[in-house]
Amino acid sequence: MDKVLSNEEIRAIITACGTGIGDEFDLSKARYHKIVIMTDADHDGSHIRILLLTLFYRFMRPLIDAGYIYIAQPPLYKIEKGKVIRYAYSDAQLEQALQEMGRQGVKLQRYKGLGEMNADQLWETTMDPESRTLLQVTMEDAMDADMIFSTLMGDKVEPRRDFIAEHARYVRNLDV
Amino acid sequence: MAEQNSSRGVLPVDISQELRNSFMDYAMSVIVARAIPDVRDGLKPVHRRILYAMYDAGMTPDKPYKKSSRIVGDVLGKFHPHGDTAVYDALVRLAQDFSTRYPLVDGHGNFGSIDGDSAAAMRYTESRMSAIALELLRDINKETVDFIPNHDEQEQEPVVLPSRFPNLLVNGSSGIAVGMATNIPPHNLREVIDGVIMLIDRPDATVDDLMKVIKGPDFPTGGLILGREGIRKAYETGRGSITVRAVTHFEEMSAGKTRIVVTEIPYQHNKARIVEKIAELVRDKKVDGITDLRDESDRKGMRVVIELRRDVRPQVVLNNLFKHTSLQASFGVINLALVNGEPKILTLRETLVHYLNHQREVVRRRTQYDLNKAEARAHILEGLRIALDHLDAVIALIRASQTVDEAREGLMTSFGLSEEQAQAILDMRLQRLTGLEREKIEQEYAELMERIRYLRSILADESLLLGVIRDELKEIRDKYGDDRKSKIIAAEGEINEEDLIPVHDVVIAITHRGYIKRIPLSTYHSQKRGGRGMSLMGTRDEDFVEGLHVTSTHDYLLFFTNRGRMYAIKAYDVPEFSRQARGIPIVNLLNVEQDEKINAVIPVKSLDPAEIEGINLVFATRQGIVKKTPLSEYSNIRKNGLIAINLRDDDDVVGVKLTDGTKEIMMVTRQGLAIRFPETDVRPMGRAATGVKGISLGAKDEVIAMDVAEDDHDVLVVTSRGYGKRTPVQEYRAQSRGGKGIKTINCTPKNGQAIEMCMVTADDDLMIISQSGVAIRIHVRDISTQSRNTQGVRLINVDEGQEVASVSRVVADDDADEGDSSSE
Repeated sequence: MDKVLSNEEIRAIITACGTGIGDEFDLSKARYHKIVIMTDADHDGSHIRILLLTLFYRFMRPLIDAGYIYIAQPPLYKIEKGKVIRYAYSDAQLEQALQEMGRQGVKLQRYKGLGEMNADQLWETTMDPESRTLLQVTMEDAMDADMIFSTLMGDKVEPRRDFIAEHARYVRNLDV
Repeated sequence: MAEQNSSRGVLPVDISQELRNSFMDYAMSVIVARAIPDVRDGLKPVHRRILYAMYDAGMTPDKPYKKSSRIVGDVLGKFHPHGDTAVYDALVRLAQDFSTRYPLVDGHGNFGSIDGDSAAAMRYTESRMSAIALELLRDINKETVDFIPNHDEQEQEPVVLPSRFPNLLVNGSSGIAVGMATNIPPHNLREVIDGVIMLIDRPDATVDDLMKVIKGPDFPTGGLILGREGIRKAYETGRGSITVRAVTHFEEMSAGKTRIVVTEIPYQHNKARIVEKIAELVRDKKVDGITDLRDESDRKGMRVVIELRRDVRPQVVLNNLFKHTSLQASFGVINLALVNGEPKILTLRETLVHYLNHQREVVRRRTQYDLNKAEARAHILEGLRIALDHLDAVIALIRASQTVDEAREGLMTSFGLSEEQAQAILDMRLQRLTGLEREKIEQEYAELMERIRYLRSILADESLLLGVIRDELKEIRDKYGDDRKSKIIAAEGEINEEDLIPVHDVVIAITHRGYIKRIPLSTYHSQKRGGRGMSLMGTRDEDFVEGLHVTSTHDYLLFFTNRGRMYAIKAYDVPEFSRQARGIPIVNLLNVEQDEKINAVIPVKSLDPAEIEGINLVFATRQGIVKKTPLSEYSNIRKNGLIAINLRDDDDVVGVKLTDGTKEIMMVTRQGLAIRFPETDVRPMGRAATGVKGISLGAKDEVIAMDVAEDDHDVLVVTSRGYGKRTPVQEYRAQSRGGKGIKTINCTPKNGQAIEMCMVTADDDLMIISQSGVAIRIHVRDISTQSRNTQGVRLINVDEGQEVASVSRVVADDDADEGDSSSE
């Protein structure tokens, strides 16, 4: 707990939420009902996302139960052809867009970080309530969640290695 | 509309699923694309990208140095969309000759030090590739490796380098991924190349065979590698622990003092931190005898000086430093690398096989590339030869043509040439028509045909291909190979506690309530007879010192309990305390049962059966029983103790002595009777036997002590009121075992009853302790010699109601340090 609070960013997040943590948590004090995790669309972004989810899960769990935690979906690719600009949020969407637009003369950008986008681009692709997609974090099976958090974020290495060996085949996106 | 939007814009995601997916994305990315090297070139992506970017930008060893920031910028912009510090740190490591066995980057400027100083900022330092780094990239432009588009599809980068030397083993690697880590030590280039060559010549070579040429890791920082077992295990299984020790020597200083000089330290350890740690040990008094500590290292080499006090043994201090600092450290080998993109723990053989397979592919692809080039050139030359053979017709055709295209068409149709050949003829300069030039074309063609034959033979014959690999590896070995820096020496065994503990004489004190402690013998002063003594132990109320044993730290202490069991520990296992301290309960040291009480303690030098042949343990019990058993019966000590003697109910061990089979035994009873008989009267018995009668006791009498009667010794008897005397052994005639004994001291109300007897010489000292913990050390020569039937003289003032608790002899050998103790 002390270790958690020693991190400045985490303190800022807790302050912003307004609910307090652990035993002092009070859902009614939540200042926002949409807390959106928005990280880079690369694997380090994935890492930060799981760290934040772990923070919410371990210390501010009612936020998850109440459905206040969301995950933003920034695009992975920008596809530009002449004046037409499209964004793809997955490799499948990219393929689809390329088929529709044709591959000739297409400028392709793979987004590695949110910092690559201008403010209006970020608004357009990720933040505009009219067009964005948010993932609302839910907990279908508390037992399963508990198990997976302690396997992946616990202090034992063995179960983590086993998990990796078992799931290595189902990796979603892998960037090199 | 808004309603619709929001329902479309929010999708539920299960936290477990999201965690699983995100975790796997991250974990796999870190494993395959960040922290683990490829088995083929031994590089992680960041290193590969640094080297390729430098190569691409022409920063080769023959060019001037370039600012490191330019390289980092290139790497970031072209290939590696991550942090700049990560790239620069990786570059710096490749340039540090104490981090990388064969540096791949030739750095200019401050690239940090083995003291952990960091390199200057990248805007100051300059770099270029080292000569050996070129060998990693050699042939890369000959389609030897695959290229893939970079992150923004603007550039192409190699997925692996040709790596014309086995870089994974040569430079090693270390990295922490998720759920796994790698730690591969560096090796000597010559040895590893010889290992690859052995595998070429004998594909079935075993780890044992390979270890004949690859002796073990070779660290850039040198050092001594202790033992081959860890190396073998690492090579056989991919995991193992290797102990590395600093290189040190002793130098004599003036006045007989010695200093330890450290010239090499274990790989990946920080010299400044080691020096700090040593200083800390000195400050906390964990290591004794260091008077000065200086780091005299300079640009020419390492030299850490540790000056020692005159009276300490340098090797003991050094062993302590090995034990407590990184002057000795272990390197945990985890030979984990990516094989076809999957992390695998590899044996030495597997590592080399994968490398060799990579070289097969590289050389095959290069040969194919060279063959294609040669064939294309041969094709052109064939065209030129045809043209030269029909020179006049060709010239006429060209002159008659209106355009280049027409000429080309004409050549192709008239002479059956290909487009390339026709174009080559049109590009030909007129000077080519001289006789000499024509000869040159013929000659080049002939050479080319020869080369094509050679290249084709390589592709057709595996053994030729391997021969090429072997020759090229030998070339690299001879050009860049150097002597081993780390020496491998036989393991001298673990440094066990014992090597670190100086041998010195100590007193082991045991109280009535079962507390024990160790005190240096020199703590005691020698006082005059009849003094008040000094407090030996700050005992609790109602506790008093019961047993006192003078021994040496490395000797065994054998404990005999009232239940007839024996336990053994080393004297140094007993914690040292100050004179006033109470000590710790014996039960914390021994696995004694509840209600089990230590009734006798005896120090022995060894329990090795070979060293203790002929030595016996003689037991005496309160009820007059004696038993003799060879000491070797007790060699097999166990934590839970051994049965030492089978005691009758209500009996205790009062004395245990060592004998050599020729001694005489003396037993004394509380009422002052003594019996002396040869130990041959007692036949040797097994460990768990009961024994035989030693003395016939009168009513209410019991045995208080047993000792070995030595002819040149006196029998010293001390009574409960602090009286005592010595009587020559000769005054006691030998009797037969089991008799009633003869009077040895006259017990009266004034002097009390006999409580202790032992054999002494005039040179001995005695330690006498009262029940209140007051101790006195007196010279035996100060105690008068009297005949048997006397009361003795006062040895210690015992307060009313108090008794003498214990008497112990300080053996003559130790008188040497008497001068020391009295001067303290």
